[in-house]
Amino acid sequence: MAAKDSPLKQFEIDPISNIELAGYNISFTNSSFSMLITVLAITLFLTLTVNTKSIIPSRMQLVSELMYNFIAQLLSDTVGDNGKKYFPFVFSIFMFVLIGNMVGMIPYQFTFTSHIIVTFALAAVVFIGVTILGFVNHGIKFFTFFYIPGVPFYMHPLLIPIEVISYLSRPISLSVRLFANMLAGHTLLKVFAGFVVSMPFFTGVFPLAFIVALTGLEILIAFLQAYVFAILTCLYINDAYHLH
Amino acid sequence: MPQLNPEFFVSQLFWLAVFFTFLLVFLWRVSLPRIATVLEKRQNKIDENLSSAKELQEKAMDIEKKINDQINKAKLETDEKIKETINTLQEDVSSQLSLLDKDLEKKVSDAEKEILKSKDDQMKNINNEIANITKLTVGKITDIELSDNELNKVIQTHKGSFN
Repeated sequence: MAAKDSPLKQFEIDPISNIELAGYNISFTNSSFSMLITVLAITLFLTLTVNTKSIIPSRMQLVSELMYNFIAQLLSDTVGDNGKKYFPFVFSIFMFVLIGNMVGMIPYQFTFTSHIIVTFALAAVVFIGVTILGFVNHGIKFFTFFYIPGVPFYMHPLLIPIEVISYLSRPISLSVRLFANMLAGHTLLKVFAGFVVSMPFFTGVFPLAFIVALTGLEILIAFLQAYVFAILTCLYINDAYHLH
Repeated sequence: MPQLNPEFFVSQLFWLAVFFTFLLVFLWRVSLPRIATVLEKRQNKIDENLSSAKELQEKAMDIEKKINDQINKAKLETDEKIKETINTLQEDVSSQLSLLDKDLEKKVSDAEKEILKSKDDQMKNINNEIANITKLTVGKITDIELSDNELNKVIQTHKGSFN
């Protein structure tokens, strides 16, 4: 699989500096470097573009405010007033995934969102957090979340396990959706890039044109997946407040 | 597939935790409050401007109403004054006219009297002239010198036929 020209080679992790902590390998890798760039880009952009003294925003400040309002609107539409507390978390998740995906679109840059362990960790944080929130809000009554009212009683032995399984598979679906999209998109780009080189004469122009179009599509998907991640987080938070 | 290689799982999780926690705390404590402040400030400014605009509009409407009232009042006053002036002028004119009429009447009667008087004078002069002419004519033709008394007598006798 790790052949020289494999389209999956781009997902290989290379340590930049080897670090070990308590027997664990916590090397700073190209994946960590991508995360660093992502976090720096977000924090610097949101801090440097916002001038607290100006009433009329600059163009860049408008972009920051647009993102702020976008997530604030999303949260208030799905969760309502209860959601305000979780705004920093949802905003961070959205920006981290969005800019992580975008950084991955830069040629030779590593896409950390194409690694299942990263997306699963993010989804697990959401899942565990929302479950704790559900128990804090409703105590033991949170289990009634799996009980669907208005269904004939003999259906419950079937429906309750389905509900439990669907609840437990949330982190998996959330993480695999993002991971698979990023993996598939980048692999496809790499495959077509291989065609550009290997096709004879000028015919390589066709896959090149296809790559250009695919890059546009990938940027759209990068945004869309970040949006999906954020909106599902919002919906799960809403479920923790309103059981049915 | 490199994603399933557990060699760097711990490293990835560790750096993810470090960077995501940093991002979360930084955005929560620094960036988002700044944006919220800006948005709030702008909203306040907009509200303030809107309320002051409303206030100014109300004031402007009040002023407009006052101006209209004053214009109406001034119009009524002017109309009244114009009427008054017309009335006084008419009175003045009619009194002046009546004075002029009287004056004219007087002047006409005076003129009539004078005309009558000058007519009488002229008649007298004509009589004298007739006497003189007659005297001269009779003298030239007949060499008879008529005395004034005789002449007057003749003239008086024939006066009726002159007229």
